[in-house]
Amino acid sequence: MTRADTVGIVGAGTFGTALGSVLARAGRRVVLWSRDEGVVRSIQTSRQNPRTPAVPLPEPLEATADPRHLASAARFLVLAVASTDVRDRSRELGDVIDGSHIVVHAVGALAMPSNERVSEVMAHGLPTLKLGVLAGPALPADLAPELSSDAPSDRAARPSSDGVTLTSSASMVVASVFDEVVAEGRRLLNAPPSLRVYGSKDLIGVELASALSGAYTVALGLSDGMGIGIGTRAVLITRIVAEATRLGIAAGAQIKTFAGLAGLGNLLVRASGASPADAGRSADYRLGRRLAEGGVPAGAAITEGARAAIAGAELARTLRVRMPVLTGIAAVLAGKVDPRDAAKLVMDSVALEE
Amino acid sequence: MASDRPVREAENRLERFNADRERLLSEVERRVVARRVAEARAGGDHSLEYVLNDVAYHEIRRLEASRAKNGAVERWKDLSRRLLGMNDDEKVAELRELVRFYGKDVVGNFDPRVYRFATGIGPSLIGFLYGPMSSLREGVSTLRHLDARISADGDIDVVRTCAERGTIVVTPTHSSNMDSPAIGFGLLRAGLPPVTYGAGKNLFSNPFISFFMRNLGAYRVDRRLRFELYKDVLKEYSTVLLEHGYHSLFFPGGTRCRSNVVEQHLKLGLLGTTVTAYKNNVREGAPNRRIYIVPATINYRLVLEAETLIADYLSETGKSRFIITDDEFSRLGRILEFFRKILAHEGSVVVRFGRPFDPFGNDVTDEGESIDRAGRIVDPSSYVRGADGEVTDDDQRDAEYTRALGRRLVTAYPRLTVFHSTSLVARVLYDAIARTVGTRDIYRLLRAPVAQLGVRVEDAIAGLERLRARLAANPAWGAEHPTYARESAAEKLDDAVRGLGTYHTRPAVVRQGDLLQVEDVKLLYYYMNRTAHVPPEDPTAAGLRHAAPEELS
Repeated sequence: MTRADTVGIVGAGTFGTALGSVLARAGRRVVLWSRDEGVVRSIQTSRQNPRTPAVPLPEPLEATADPRHLASAARFLVLAVASTDVRDRSRELGDVIDGSHIVVHAVGALAMPSNERVSEVMAHGLPTLKLGVLAGPALPADLAPELSSDAPSDRAARPSSDGVTLTSSASMVVASVFDEVVAEGRRLLNAPPSLRVYGSKDLIGVELASALSGAYTVALGLSDGMGIGIGTRAVLITRIVAEATRLGIAAGAQIKTFAGLAGLGNLLVRASGASPADAGRSADYRLGRRLAEGGVPAGAAITEGARAAIAGAELARTLRVRMPVLTGIAAVLAGKVDPRDAAKLVMDSVALEE
Repeated sequence: MASDRPVREAENRLERFNADRERLLSEVERRVVARRVAEARAGGDHSLEYVLNDVAYHEIRRLEASRAKNGAVERWKDLSRRLLGMNDDEKVAELRELVRFYGKDVVGNFDPRVYRFATGIGPSLIGFLYGPMSSLREGVSTLRHLDARISADGDIDVVRTCAERGTIVVTPTHSSNMDSPAIGFGLLRAGLPPVTYGAGKNLFSNPFISFFMRNLGAYRVDRRLRFELYKDVLKEYSTVLLEHGYHSLFFPGGTRCRSNVVEQHLKLGLLGTTVTAYKNNVREGAPNRRIYIVPATINYRLVLEAETLIADYLSETGKSRFIITDDEFSRLGRILEFFRKILAHEGSVVVRFGRPFDPFGNDVTDEGESIDRAGRIVDPSSYVRGADGEVTDDDQRDAEYTRALGRRLVTAYPRLTVFHSTSLVARVLYDAIARTVGTRDIYRLLRAPVAQLGVRVEDAIAGLERLRARLAANPAWGAEHPTYARESAAEKLDDAVRGLGTYHTRPAVVRQGDLLQVEDVKLLYYYMNRTAHVPPEDPTAAGLRHAAPEELS
């Protein structure tokens, strides 16, 4: 398989490994770069990542600890690391790639402490201008069913009530201002029926929507934990879409993006599901539930969604956008407001305007 | 930073232009025709019939609107009629003829004798224009002090290295029709090579200016021709010039900036030819034939066409007017008067060159190597290569690269801005009357009563001192004129009032004892706008009585 047909993945965490698995199972050549030589060795010898032993990593996937090998083997790269590692990893990656590479990130957060979008941070560290984002309602368990608490066979193909078998499929969107990045992302990452990839030109919108959906997942976890009821929950979701759209417009995004896969789609998959177990699949959602129970001390609540809430609230202040839900959840996470008071304030505040 | 002329005789590649002229034209013709014929296969709007009809339609409309002679219109009507009966070969032949026709209209000339005459051995271009209208003594005196009038500074050494290593494209801010000669002299003062540039066809209507423009490497851009084929020819010509190593000058702001703010919105059409030309160099196996984009600002103490430009900007229809044919530049007397005024003052024009960028918006080292945002040396040819190292064509990608380059230029301009006394004092006076009236809105200030347009001299001096201190603390906003940085605020004020009060048909400001009376708010606004990117002063910190904060934003 040629270099043009190879996907390089930076980071052998849960998402990077799950993405590598779904692509390799679809026959795509994948090179996975991890700094952990133990992980690399394990993948090369036993075809499994010790962090996610249940996830099969078939032959077209190879692991490497050498970033130069990654850069020479693949032109299309996916940065799948924690938001706190983006800066360092970009700098390392920047040492080995050039202006021809394409780099999309799959980080659903904003970069702290600057509150920049991840692609902005990447731009400081990478020589290529061809940057993008990969986002959407696909949790690692959607890509690699083995990560789910359900039995894989149950998740892969569930008969519907009328007896028709529906195949489980994750959807993501790749966004960039470069048509080439979107086209290559769709060509290389599309692995139907397991993963369908859509395209968007709205890099700013998709990045913000993806980051904020994590923050709002915490908010929905919190409100569910407080038992707000299905009607109020629906109101909250519509207000979330409205305020996130306001922020997006102020930041230069398209009006429709938050209502799409990376925003609302992402939020619904993280904060709801067919069963309570499904709804609890996201760390952000679980964090919200624990906040409602008073089980998390202020300042200790660190998930990507929690970071995004704090960074997003700062961004809203900078751009002078009124965002009661986001600033409410950020205040709770910072320990400034009691969750119940925040919920009341938020509901009073969002009721000001439709 | 300032350099004495000549630092070193720069290689004048334009000397070989006339020998190259036919080859360049043929190359433009070959490429445009080949591309159009290839695109025509898609049919519809790309078909040759459509392309040729588009030319005929626009030409008929233009000529009818300008009440041209019947024969001129008839030529295009005839083409339109004949199109229906033409076979493919005839259409290609017609296309070729049109491309050559417009190519010839565009392509300039370069006469080394005129260049030497205009720039060195003989009287200068400015001296030439000035001389016949004045006494010999005045002319000689003018020439003696010419070097002090237009000065050049900035990152000249790096620009020179880049000009020797590759091809430079100078991309200055654009305020006046005098910009092209000013940048020409600026380059000469800096020991940099001359450049070729596109100039509006209206400028060629003045026979004196036209003679020099034609013979100093200028090519004609007819902005009335709005059809795609003409734009194709222009862009291809620019691309071919760059590939052949001809240093060029683009005004990325497009037309002269009406409001006099430091440009924030660029037109990227011609700028995009830098990526195309470099890509073609890479494809030809010459990735080291680099192209560099040099940001520059041209800073005037007084702008020749200030009154027309600001009136145009403030008029309701002004922002859509693309060509002004009746401005001060069309009247030779006004030009000559302007030169007299300009030449009466040292350093009236400062051209400041910034560090070059590569076509992808990357910075370059002192040696002209591209470096990314993290400071690593990067191979610029990699930006146009695909997965296997092959050069790939992608217009949308290249347009994004050009947008990135445009963003870098826009952020470079403020830092390169040089403030003359006229702009600084205009800012201080504008701020003062805005405080008195309670608004910064120009349209409301234009209606303010005369009584509210007076500023006490001591307040103006205090304001000037505060503004100078803020500029000194924020180099990203630009800098004071280096020659006059040590002047006291009172001296600067006197100089500005003299300039703003005497050149234009109506004084912008006059001194009446201890009071400075603003007579022309529009002109004041025009000169003040050069500092528009400098944020408003914090009224509390400055201890000023002030209007509501929202009106300061």
